[in-house]
Amino acid sequence: MAAVAYDVKNLVKTYPRQRAPAIDGVTFQIHEGEIFGLLGDNGAGKTTLVRQMVNLLRPDSGTVELFGRDVRDDPRHVAMLVGYMPQKSAALNRLTVGEAIYFTAHLRGLSRQAARGERDALVELWRLGDIVDKSSEQLSGGQRRLMQLAVAMAGDPPVLVLDEPTNDLDPVNRKHVWDVLRDRNTRRGTTVILITHDAVEAEKAIQRVGIVQRGRFTALGTPGELKSRVALQVHVDLSFTPGSPPRLPAGITPWKSAPDSWSLRVDPDAVPALMAALDFADITDIRLSSATLEDLYLHYVS
Amino acid sequence: MSPNRNAPSVYAQLVDLLLIQLSNYRWAWRGTVVTGVVAPVMMLLAIGLPAKQYGTGGLAYVLVGSVVMSLMFQNQNQVAHNFAFMKAMGTLDYFATLPIHRAIVVVGTVSAFFLLSLPALGVTLLLGALFLGVPLAVDPVALLVVPLCALPLAGVGALIGLLAPGPQDVGPIALVTTMAMLFVGPVILPPDTLPDWLMAVSHVSPTNYAASAIQQVLVGPVTGRLWVDVGVLAALTAVVLWVVGRKVPWHAR
Repeated sequence: MAAVAYDVKNLVKTYPRQRAPAIDGVTFQIHEGEIFGLLGDNGAGKTTLVRQMVNLLRPDSGTVELFGRDVRDDPRHVAMLVGYMPQKSAALNRLTVGEAIYFTAHLRGLSRQAARGERDALVELWRLGDIVDKSSEQLSGGQRRLMQLAVAMAGDPPVLVLDEPTNDLDPVNRKHVWDVLRDRNTRRGTTVILITHDAVEAEKAIQRVGIVQRGRFTALGTPGELKSRVALQVHVDLSFTPGSPPRLPAGITPWKSAPDSWSLRVDPDAVPALMAALDFADITDIRLSSATLEDLYLHYVS
Repeated sequence: MSPNRNAPSVYAQLVDLLLIQLSNYRWAWRGTVVTGVVAPVMMLLAIGLPAKQYGTGGLAYVLVGSVVMSLMFQNQNQVAHNFAFMKAMGTLDYFATLPIHRAIVVVGTVSAFFLLSLPALGVTLLLGALFLGVPLAVDPVALLVVPLCALPLAGVGALIGLLAPGPQDVGPIALVTTMAMLFVGPVILPPDTLPDWLMAVSHVSPTNYAASAIQQVLVGPVTGRLWVDVGVLAALTAVVLWVVGRKVPWHAR
């Protein structure tokens, strides 16, 4: 069993002039080497939770321990071990991309020479070579997000806390982010805690997920565990010759239709009947997929 | 669990923070030209020409007032804008998640803006001396006095930036504060031209002591009053920077 990286107990936080708590008695653990995802609506309390985990916000009550030490007892403990990427992307507007990575690596304890090496490696990893000398305020939202990821990783902290790492990114870069995070986790055992709305892509990386609503976890576990707790429907995508739609069993109707394709959602026990009823002579393509993390998320927040 | 490395030394933190904050020249240079040189020199000409009736002694006040004005715009106002920016944009949060001391951020910021203010200060001083015909008598103690005049002003600027509701509010607050501190006391005008009540109020204004100290070390003569000014400025620097340190949002406080 891996060591516990984060141990959060009975965390409560209510902002001034707010009646409802932003975080309402949250208790959970994150193990070393885990990729943990936080999903939830806007305003559900995810950012408040991670800001308390990186010691930027004081809880009203409860504790956050990182590798067995309360984060408030020694702020440097968190600062040495955690690379935090905030949601806001304008924090380093005055520095160039290269400077931001270099200074962060050096301030996390690398020698000046090692910090320069780290800068070059991260510039290559995040494909920032063309913009390394640009001031970050000159960057697009997506480029700034990649720079923030490089800054969070600078100095190779064993824990990464990333607040919406794929925001503003195009599909190619989104995929690259998930690939890099998975690789970092596999090769170096980096613990990754991330907030994301990109549930479809996140499913490929996340090992355990917490779904947050109104400051509480409404679900917490591996995607497989959570899926097994609820009866989620199977996705069926059918393609057929235009003008020759297949017959469907009674009670099954497409939720999305085009002249040559349908999308269906079917209860798992109704799949055999559907397959038996279809005339495959008219079907050009059929795809079945089980419920996704996005379905799970939508199920719990609905 | 890794990494097995030590946090950077205080010296390394200070050098990095100084270099990071010096990068502000990228946006601050325009302001330096306009408010650090053009505005003080314009004021110097506008007030200096009519003040010629007061002789070299009166003109020395105008010259020193322009130098103090340049210091205020470059230190107090630029630092105010920088702290407001850092607070609003999350830069202070970024620093707080690194293994560095809060005080280093404050010291690094005010030191960087002081260094950035020196060219404007020099140009204002030389142009002022040239236009007004005031002979300069620079004392080596200026190396101690000039930073000591800038630090409390930078501290006041940091407080404005941290306490202002938003970055958009900093400009008007900083400008009103600058004007008030310039005209409260014998900063620009000789003391015998000011009413008694203004002279009494001037004892609580740091610019009063800064102007007195700068006049002694740049124009002369240096008198025993310099050490009173230095003492007050040093005490003000310590108090203001301590308050700034307490007000910087940092970790889970």
